[in-house]
Amino acid sequence: MAEMIRKSSVDEIVNHWILAGSCILLMITGYAFLFHVESIGSVLGGFNTMKTVHNWLGVVFVLSLLYSMRHYLRDALEYDADDKQWFKVAGGYLSHKVKVPPMGKYNPGQKLYYLVILVFGIVIAISGFGIWFMKDNMTVMLISHLVHNIAFCVFVIAVPVHIYLGTLANPGTFKIMVSGTMPLSEAKKKHPKWIKSVGKV
Amino acid sequence: MTNHWIDLKNSDVILAMGANPASNHPISMKWIMRAREKGAKLISVDPRFTQTSAKADLYAPLRSGTDIAFLGGMINYILTNNLFFKEYVANYTNASFLVNVDYKGPADLDGLFSGYTLETKKYDKASWAFQKDENGISLKDPTLEDPNCVFQLLKKHYLRYTPEMVTDITGTPLDKLMEVYKLFGSTGTPDRVGTECYAMGWTQHTVGTQNIRAMTIIQMLLGNIGMAGGGINALRGESNVQGSTDHGILFHILPGYNPVPNAPLVDLAAYIEKNTPTTKETRSVNWWSNRGKYITSYLKAVYGTAATKENDFGYSWMPKLDVGMNASWLMIFDKMYKGDFDGFFAWGQNPACSGANSNKTRMAMTKLKWLVNVNLFDNETASFWRGPGLNPKDIQTEVFMLPCCSSMEKEGSISNSGRWAQWRYKAIEPIGHSLPDAEIINELYFKVRELYKKEGGAYPDPIVNLSWDYGTQDAAGKVKHVDTHAIAKEINGYFLEDVYDTKVDPPKLIGKKGDLVTSFPTLQADGSTSSGNWLYCNSYIMKEGKPTNMMARRGKDDPTGLGLFPGWTWAWPVNRRIIYNRASVDLQGQPWDPKRPLLKWNATKLAANGKPGVWEGDIPDGPAPPMGTDGKLPFIMKPDGVASIFGAGLMEGPFPEHYEALECPLENNAMSKQRINPTIKIFGDKIDASFSCDARYPFVCTTYRVSEHWQTGCMTRHCSWLLEMQPQNFVEMSFELAKELGMSNGEAVVVSSGRGEVKAVAMITERFKPFKIMNSTVHQVGLPWHFGWQFPEDGSGYDSANLLTPNVGDANTMIPESKAFMVNVRKA
Amino acid sequence: MANDITKNRKAILVTPENCIGCRACQVACKSWNQLPGIKTKNNGTYQNPPDLASAAFNIIKFSEVPSQENPVRWLFLSRRCMHCEDAGCMAICPAPGALYRTAEGAVAFDHDKCISCKLCVNACPFDVPRFDEEGKVSKCNLCADRIGAEMQPSCVKTCPTGALKFGDRNELISAAKKEGFATIYGENDLGGLGTIYAFKDKPKLYGMIENPTIPSSVIFWHSYLKPLSLFGLGGVVAAAALHYLAIGPHKEEEEKKEEV
Repeated sequence: MAEMIRKSSVDEIVNHWILAGSCILLMITGYAFLFHVESIGSVLGGFNTMKTVHNWLGVVFVLSLLYSMRHYLRDALEYDADDKQWFKVAGGYLSHKVKVPPMGKYNPGQKLYYLVILVFGIVIAISGFGIWFMKDNMTVMLISHLVHNIAFCVFVIAVPVHIYLGTLANPGTFKIMVSGTMPLSEAKKKHPKWIKSVGKV
Repeated sequence: MTNHWIDLKNSDVILAMGANPASNHPISMKWIMRAREKGAKLISVDPRFTQTSAKADLYAPLRSGTDIAFLGGMINYILTNNLFFKEYVANYTNASFLVNVDYKGPADLDGLFSGYTLETKKYDKASWAFQKDENGISLKDPTLEDPNCVFQLLKKHYLRYTPEMVTDITGTPLDKLMEVYKLFGSTGTPDRVGTECYAMGWTQHTVGTQNIRAMTIIQMLLGNIGMAGGGINALRGESNVQGSTDHGILFHILPGYNPVPNAPLVDLAAYIEKNTPTTKETRSVNWWSNRGKYITSYLKAVYGTAATKENDFGYSWMPKLDVGMNASWLMIFDKMYKGDFDGFFAWGQNPACSGANSNKTRMAMTKLKWLVNVNLFDNETASFWRGPGLNPKDIQTEVFMLPCCSSMEKEGSISNSGRWAQWRYKAIEPIGHSLPDAEIINELYFKVRELYKKEGGAYPDPIVNLSWDYGTQDAAGKVKHVDTHAIAKEINGYFLEDVYDTKVDPPKLIGKKGDLVTSFPTLQADGSTSSGNWLYCNSYIMKEGKPTNMMARRGKDDPTGLGLFPGWTWAWPVNRRIIYNRASVDLQGQPWDPKRPLLKWNATKLAANGKPGVWEGDIPDGPAPPMGTDGKLPFIMKPDGVASIFGAGLMEGPFPEHYEALECPLENNAMSKQRINPTIKIFGDKIDASFSCDARYPFVCTTYRVSEHWQTGCMTRHCSWLLEMQPQNFVEMSFELAKELGMSNGEAVVVSSGRGEVKAVAMITERFKPFKIMNSTVHQVGLPWHFGWQFPEDGSGYDSANLLTPNVGDANTMIPESKAFMVNVRKA
Repeated sequence: MANDITKNRKAILVTPENCIGCRACQVACKSWNQLPGIKTKNNGTYQNPPDLASAAFNIIKFSEVPSQENPVRWLFLSRRCMHCEDAGCMAICPAPGALYRTAEGAVAFDHDKCISCKLCVNACPFDVPRFDEEGKVSKCNLCADRIGAEMQPSCVKTCPTGALKFGDRNELISAAKKEGFATIYGENDLGGLGTIYAFKDKPKLYGMIENPTIPSSVIFWHSYLKPLSLFGLGGVVAAAALHYLAIGPHKEEEEKKEEV
């Protein structure tokens, strides 16, 4: 068996799944509200229950999101020249022939993605709470409604990209999300700077 | 109403004065608005800019209690500008009659008419009579020129009511006053008709009856009585108050407006003689000459087989008034206050809130040994002993509550203002232990009769001899349940024998024994017919051998297009929809206004008796041909056959004269030295106090109703939907007055009069404006009288406005003057 | 909305000119809809309750305005749901069937389907929807049950003076125009209102909103964000599929080759 290296801690994996799960359910129920998808409502016992589910999932999501800052925020804020180069070659996704610069634990696409999710996650949560709790303030209510929906658009575009890249586009990546570990050999190729920093070279 | 609700749509000018139909008779507005759609004009004259004013084409304010000045000015305007309907006035009114030369009016006697005695506060009316020729027929001057003719006396009387004088008294802006006069005066032409709608705004004054008389004179001058779209129309304040007066609820009249007998009329013959007017006018129908038939048939209905020719048909069993005795509301409560009554049935009423000077009525009830309250709900009357300012420990009155059911829970007729007796059906079963009034009376009757039978008593005859054939009896002879149809049939009356018309040879059978009488001309004075109320004869008749309830008809045909709907229920008399309708045609029987042909003489068509000539349209006031042929005079109820511009019937005089209200802001009546109505009764106890021109009570006040509540609110205050819209007593006042008093809109204030005080929410509005009265400013306020301390239970509705009103009445009717009195308003 | 509904659209025509302020409409509404009485107090005006409430689907607004002729003009205006063609409340409502369009064109509500979010309240240009004690939407539904059974709405049925009329919307409008009313308020506003007003005066005199509009945020959301959220997702999925097919996933082998 190949030597494995732990990329994600257990609590990180658990939290990521909570975050991912709540996010996806929120999006599904969000769509149901937006487009009156009654079948989704029925699965959850009607729109009234669905509203409760959506609201509390929002709480779960935002707590999970805030907790995730422990795992990702520091990395997400650090960029170097290689990151710049990574953008130039579009992470190698538009062609397998280009030379992708050596990466750390996360590539800058992932890091930026995290920042987007963090920012819009907080925004969508705050606006969600606005709709939830500030029903009698018309200005707050209407702004919240607008912002919530703008953030929703960001989510429905960003999240599927993330899922695609984490699954089909990068075979093997999904396994890390389950076990938290990846083969050291592979890590050396994909995250040479990270391996270096943890002294496994 | 001389006319009826729908008929309002036929008017050209509608004067709402003494009434606020938009608030209090919304359905009338349906027809008023229809008239307006066709170009009619609505005039609203009211101290306050009301909901009616808001819809009016012309609004004129006037100070409460000055209607006669306003209307007197209109009479003057009509006469000086020759706007009256000459042919009508000359032929259909007593304008041409010559009055006794001794007659003198207020123009000569400084506010009084001839014949006044200060001590008795009464008039000797001898000088008010007409001059007669040797045959006893009134002398007339058809040219209306004789200085002693009614027309000239009228002119002289109202010449004093100049526009300037009127505005000085009423506070109406001169331009508005003249606009009203001009507009209403425009209906004196044959092709234009004006109507008047009044309610308690006219009646509840010390000069209430004369207010209406003044308008009647105007309507006669303009030829508006008897016309479709005309008349003088009392918008009655209760769905069945017309029925209750028709059926004798007032102390001085029996059903069908027969007078209650008084003590000196010892037998029926004396009663009939006294109460049957005579006339020498050959062409007068003098309908009341039938009095004997009506009263005899009434006695037969009341006492049945016990009423025989030998015992004067039970006349002696009838309760009698002493001469001059007045048993009206104010008198009853005065006597009660003085401790003259042991017991009192408050039946379907709430005197603790509805009585003028309610503190007096509340105190009066403390003197009772027992009180029975028959009502839908417990109210301020039943609970008076725990009311404000009273200590239950001090009150010995035993109170019984008999719950009765509402009109929805029983079957019967309701007579509306237009005199339509409309049959209604039971919608739901009575709730709880409540019973229809008739069932309660039935229970009481048999219990009282039983006691009389068992114990004798002072005079059992009137009770034990009553006919009470209102349903199947139990073994003891008690009627188990009252059959309303049996009552309706008794009211209509029966042929008790085979009745023949003996004027023809051979005598012709008019009615078969046991059948319902067909109409009042068939009633007899010999006891062979019965009728509980002659006016309602024809309301329940035999059709194809079967008793048929005319009041239950629901025909929707309108053959004349005037909205008479002759097949819809039934109107008294004999389904006549507009009374005095013979005045709507000229001497040849052709309608004055061909556009509104209420009645028309068709000279060629054959009548039922085979002779040519029939009336087409409404049921005519009698079948006689028109006056121009060999017909009869149009005003069949009047002995003279014509309408009385000059009428000796009322207490204050033959012409209405302006007097101030008992409580008024003026030291002097601008018209004369006689400040108040010289013939009113003023109660003298401390509790009856009145305060005129008193700095403590500087503001004129009036009371009124709102759409959302009814009377004392006993029914409506219990309906949360209605209470939501009008939750609290309020007092409306002008911005000017509010500023003077430092009050702001919506704050609680106290309104006080010399008799009591009541809390109210200040409603500050542009709809009240200060009046300019003889160069000084007079403020008026007003408040509704729907509230009472008992409900809402938290007292948030405040108490009744009748705590303020004075217990002084009109000289003729004793209706209290709750529409003009003096108050103060202070911050709570 | 389907064409035949527009064609058969029913409406209430309010003619304040004919209103006498008797408020029978307020009571009739409560009676038919079985709404409870509201505990109110007198605020120095006849108008009560002061505004629409969960238990007051319609009210008469009493206003006093200056007059040249008289001490004052006293105006009575029936205030109620406008049953807009472009109904802000319906657009924003996230719960299917909570607010719905009846065959007659009324905006009705379903108490059970409402999720109490109150978005409709804030999207209504006329401040109409109210919430009851259970937090459910409550407003005039044009007596959907009555008009569905070919009866008039309760308020119209009781109105004694024809200030409220119910019928075919187009017919009501043309009749009002024929009668010479200067303004038919709501004829074209918001795609045409289901409560239209015939005014001789300027609607503003009666306190009517001039040119009512749905809040712009709601329009923006409805016109752009809603489609964007759908097309955004669709676009991403399509792009991913395209990427997968055209370029394909990351392959170890290729990298190896390159490294070599």
